Amino acid sequence: MLRFALNKGLAALLMLWVVGTIIFSVLFIIPGDPAELLLTSDGASASQESIENLRKEMGLDKPLITQYLEFLAGAAHFDFGQSLIDHVPVGETIALRLPRTIELILAGLFLGLVTGIPSGTWAGLRPGGSFDRTISAANAVLISVPGFVIGTLFIYLFAQVLHWLPAGGYVSFTSDPLLHLKLLALPAITVGLHLFSIIFRMTRASVLEMRTHDWVRTAVAKGLRRKLVVRRHVVRNALGPIVTVVGLQMGILLGSTVLIEFIYNWPGLSGYLVTAVQQRDYPSVRAIILVVSALFILINFMVEMIYSLLDPRIRL
Amino acid sequence: MRFPRVSFPRRMILPSLLLVLLIGSMFAAPLLTSADPLQIAISKRLAGPSWAHPFGQDEFGRDRLARVLYGGQVSLSVAFLASFIATAIGTFIGLVGAYFRGPFEFVAMRVSDVVLFFPPILLALLVVTIFGPGVYTMIAVLALLYFPSFSRIAYSETLRVSSLDFVEASRALGTKPRRIVFSTVLPNILGAISVQFSLTAAATITVESGLSFLGLGVVPPAPSWGQMIRGARAMMEQDPLGLFVPCAALCVTIYSINLFCDRLRDVLDPKGLEDGKDSVSPTGKNGAAPAELADGNAAELRGLTLSLSRGKKAEPVDLVRDITLTLPRNQCTALVGESGSGKSLTSLALMGLLPSAIRPSSGHIAIERKSGAPVDLVSLAAKEAEKVRGNDIAMIFQEPMTSLNPVLKVGAQMVETLQAHRKTTSDEARKTCVAALDRVGIPEAERRFESYPHELSGGMRQRVMIAMALLCEPKVLIADEPTTALDVTIQAEIIDLLRDLRANQEAGLSMLFISHNLGIVADIADRVVVMYSGEIVEEGPAGDVLSDPHHPYTKALLESMPSLHDEKHSARGDRLGAIAGTPPLPQARLSGCAFRDRCPIARDACAETHPDLYLAADATRAARCLFAPDAANALKEAVS
Repeated sequence: MLRFALNKGLAALLMLWVVGTIIFSVLFIIPGDPAELLLTSDGASASQESIENLRKEMGLDKPLITQYLEFLAGAAHFDFGQSLIDHVPVGETIALRLPRTIELILAGLFLGLVTGIPSGTWAGLRPGGSFDRTISAANAVLISVPGFVIGTLFIYLFAQVLHWLPAGGYVSFTSDPLLHLKLLALPAITVGLHLFSIIFRMTRASVLEMRTHDWVRTAVAKGLRRKLVVRRHVVRNALGPIVTVVGLQMGILLGSTVLIEFIYNWPGLSGYLVTAVQQRDYPSVRAIILVVSALFILINFMVEMIYSLLDPRIRL
Repeated sequence: MRFPRVSFPRRMILPSLLLVLLIGSMFAAPLLTSADPLQIAISKRLAGPSWAHPFGQDEFGRDRLARVLYGGQVSLSVAFLASFIATAIGTFIGLVGAYFRGPFEFVAMRVSDVVLFFPPILLALLVVTIFGPGVYTMIAVLALLYFPSFSRIAYSETLRVSSLDFVEASRALGTKPRRIVFSTVLPNILGAISVQFSLTAAATITVESGLSFLGLGVVPPAPSWGQMIRGARAMMEQDPLGLFVPCAALCVTIYSINLFCDRLRDVLDPKGLEDGKDSVSPTGKNGAAPAELADGNAAELRGLTLSLSRGKKAEPVDLVRDITLTLPRNQCTALVGESGSGKSLTSLALMGLLPSAIRPSSGHIAIERKSGAPVDLVSLAAKEAEKVRGNDIAMIFQEPMTSLNPVLKVGAQMVETLQAHRKTTSDEARKTCVAALDRVGIPEAERRFESYPHELSGGMRQRVMIAMALLCEPKVLIADEPTTALDVTIQAEIIDLLRDLRANQEAGLSMLFISHNLGIVADIADRVVVMYSGEIVEEGPAGDVLSDPHHPYTKALLESMPSLHDEKHSARGDRLGAIAGTPPLPQARLSGCAFRDRCPIARDACAETHPDLYLAADATRAARCLFAPDAANALKEAVS
């Protein structure tokens, strides 16, 4: 088990290095001068002076290999340089905003798991039944509504029409716990709905497959109570595939929270990212994407660990 | 997967029509409205619907209908163009990687892996930061994001297709690789690719509209749905219609593509019947039918017919017909027959584990509980049946490799069985289970208790299954081909074990042993019952039936047996017999005797009368054949 974890950990680190190198080199594989490229858009030209300044500020005047090593060393110390706009160290801003993004994702994940697994199990045990047909049809609609549309419509419905919840914003949990949760509710439900549709589909398919296995028949023949058969011999086995899919979805989710945070003015990493992209603040964009990719790699590593705990056959 | 199809599948009509309608109306925008999507009219901002502007006007007074239609053109063009590019690049990479293998394979797969490791929207944002927003950036980004999924699918599908016979054959004939790839392999993987294409089209529309919504996609003033939602967001209180129109357009489009994709998948890869019935607990009618059991029997089936219902339109088919089977207490009864003869179904009926589509249409089922009371597990309510199964009657299955749950320890699976029927502490349960493992001859039982099934050999797993079945000291044990999946040497060990266990079980153990192997049956059974095509064709004491079979089918089974054959006929040096032909399907049984088309002694009479199970003079055995030694007497008696 330890060796398995060590191997997978090393592979994750290697992946992180590859991803970091790619993110570093994106700016340089494009023909033309990077500083000039960043300052010009839609045909507008920049003065030679401002290009020179930007080149100095980003360290583009140094040899490429020095830049690369400095980038790697900096990334290892969570030092990503300064924002081009307000000159605040990028690492500080990320450290402030990242926990809020993680909080939102975890809240959504919790909602998605709590609703998706039971309903997927129920539907998978009675495929073609009325529950299955209702939820599956509803889910087909849900999957077709992008997260930012759900978010926008939620704000209209719950904030503008019904006045149940605030339209968006953020206060820290320590200063006003109740308001914090109220503000978290809508974004978390929006993220949760997206995850629900995926977890429901996967659970249903997985249960559908697992229930046909011989060991389920053995469990029934042993006289186990139905609840126990479903829990220990169907759902327990279905968890492996579900965890894998959820892990893969987290990558896509990390991306789509960009939109959801933006809609609800949730000041996580994403709002910062959107502003940075709009202002073409390259150091910030690069740092955020590196951090999020690292997070994605970490999640995948954790998924592999959880999977190996769920299925002993993997621990080889 | 079959592709292409000749006829247009009916299930594809609705989604195809929907898509044609949507795309058609967007590209026929100039015919549907004369309004210019870019024409600003500030005085008419946020005006409601009117004849000239059916969907009203937006925050700049522009016609909303025109904007939705022209915006759709932009969104769909971006999405489909990007999907086409992704399909072409991805499929090409996957095909080449899978067909030529070696370095091609490595490069193709690693490139895709790296792209897949970036969260899609973030990768898009990285590119937009460098190039600035715009339609062409967008198409490039989306194609980059989605080509890896195509190369993965093309890769795995190509691997599958290239190992098929006709591809191997054309390779052997010396066809050029390029020809094989593009004219033989490619058409065969198009099904999977087209499913992925529609998935990608839906995904790209979502990402495109999301980026436009952030203001990082399609650049204003060109209309796009994401941008319209962004614009309407600020005005949602005064003008909710402005929000609903583009939202609806976007969702309906994505839904239609998804529906198309789902249906396409169903058509290409049809799934089985889903009837809405709960498959985990097979029994479940309320209240038990009264069960009766003759004295001295541990279990009985009387006149049992099992029918498979085939939906409302078709007549049910009788899979097992009029079976009367008795399990005398403390004896081993063997049920013998080819696969498909109905022997496993018969045993599942005893356990109450029939699949939901198969129900008894007549007859009685009864087994004896430890208390002596008879029950019928098929009609017993689920909760009551749970108390009987595993406790009064237990079962061992054919496949020890899959009969144990791979993710739970052997010990845990045993303990749960014990605790389902007895109140014990976990310490006591553990002791009982380790002792049971020890009893079935598992060395180091203490350590094996902590093992996972995959750490044990097939023979060991079957021993675990036997130990588990006998944990609660049932009175009846059903063994459904328990040795078929095992090596010959292990087979003998398991049979010895079963025989010893039966001899040593203090409370007595009645066994139903199902097999197609008469050699094994000779070793263990007291009585033999032979089934053919859903009917009992011969039964009697094991020694008598095996040494002097009365039914030609039993005789043929014996002659196809290598070991018995050696003992009996080696002196004569003749060949091992095989039974010609196959048993009839249940819905196409012959009139008269079911075995007559494969029978060496069949005559005209066999086609006319369906033979009864004729009882021998001493009443110990019977055979269903007009030419069985006792049939003539039995027939005469019936006439007089």
